[in-house]
Amino acid sequence: MHEPPDEPMQRSRVDLRRIRQRAREHFTDPSARRGLLVAFEGPDGSGKTTQRKLFKTWLTAEGYDVVTTKWNSSDLIKPIIKSRKAVHSLSPEEFSLLHSADFRHRVEQIILPALWQRRIVIADRFLFTGLARDVARGLDLDWVLKLYEPLVWPDLVFYFSISPATSGRRITATRTPLFYEAGQDVTDVLDPVESYQRFITRVIREYESLALIFKFITVDAERSIGEQHHHIRQLFREGERRPWSEWNVDAVAEWLRVTGSEV
Amino acid sequence: MRTSTPALIAVDSVSSVALTSAARAALASIDRRKRSGISHWDASGLFEELGVADENAGRPSARTLLILYAADLAFRVRWEIAPALTAGRSVVAAPYVDTAIAFGRAAGLSGGWLKNLFGFAPPPSDRRFVEPARRQAAKTGDGFVEFGRDRATGTLSQLTGVEIVDRTAAYLRAAAKRRGGRMLKI
Repeated sequence: MHEPPDEPMQRSRVDLRRIRQRAREHFTDPSARRGLLVAFEGPDGSGKTTQRKLFKTWLTAEGYDVVTTKWNSSDLIKPIIKSRKAVHSLSPEEFSLLHSADFRHRVEQIILPALWQRRIVIADRFLFTGLARDVARGLDLDWVLKLYEPLVWPDLVFYFSISPATSGRRITATRTPLFYEAGQDVTDVLDPVESYQRFITRVIREYESLALIFKFITVDAERSIGEQHHHIRQLFREGERRPWSEWNVDAVAEWLRVTGSEV
Repeated sequence: MRTSTPALIAVDSVSSVALTSAARAALASIDRRKRSGISHWDASGLFEELGVADENAGRPSARTLLILYAADLAFRVRWEIAPALTAGRSVVAAPYVDTAIAFGRAAGLSGGWLKNLFGFAPPPSDRRFVEPARRQAAKTGDGFVEFGRDRATGTLSQLTGVEIVDRTAAYLRAAAKRRGGRMLKI
């Protein structure tokens, strides 16, 4: 679409350069500890929620200021998704778009404000969950990835790796998988357990590709809870001094701009 | 419009009042036996739900609103637009993609991101852009642009609500010129 020429838009581009610089300076200030974003990713039943809780308790005991955000949890969008999931009315595109909206709202309302305040944000699932599930539903990876732009890259991504069989066994040990969790919207399999097994196999295949592309830190989720936790502590200590990713500058600048926080 | 092949007629405008009039006129121009109906914004009802959300849930940004617009449009395509075309009937979509893209551009979002967002939507066979009278554009309506003007938390372009509507209208005029769509004045 052609852009009608005008001064306000040109002024806004100049302002954006200034705001980008401010974002950069804030996150690379050597005199203060910066905010860190740590994502826990993995298939259902991989034990990441247990590990996330243990990790948070440990970080708090170590004196860090920690905020947790979970997948599909915004007060604004979650009720909309919940009501549509209940009646099985979502197509793969609608499913993808609504989760992306929920994510964007949390980025703007929870994640970036906390990072700006130099806190640690633990994300129980991040945009990679959307990518793995949406691509497993047949959507194009590039289309889905662009929905999440401007991208916010975690400082660390812990990927809890388990086999499809282990995921299926752990989930079905206590309950029947839900309709979308089992991928019944795309497998056309009536039995939720059988559908889950097929769908989670696709999801794990996508996760494993993403783990290579985006350099996740893989945690063997078949090991004991204690072993995994100590491994995560060690990996966090090694990773917390990583430099701030310049990739995040667009997302931070947009947030500063939209909320007027740059003033 | 007297055509034998099913058509998707996109009608776009900043004013919901102007959209309704133009959409009705577009529908009336199609042979009665070959027409389906009008696909309206928020057929899925998700903006209605958003409208009653607790203030503490936080206001959505223009970007979030546009992702939600795309979710609603995906619903409209699946349940209203595609079935009509498959049945050999013409359908009017009011608003369609160009209103959302114009709003997004006015809010300062990149054209590339917006184009990708609506990549799933079938291209219309006919485009009509409605330029409302200034008095009408300023009215309180219940369409997407009015919703965005009143509900978005802020925009990258840092324009006021009135300026956003004016900028959206300017982008729609530019789109009409570029795409060769019909520019109607109501």
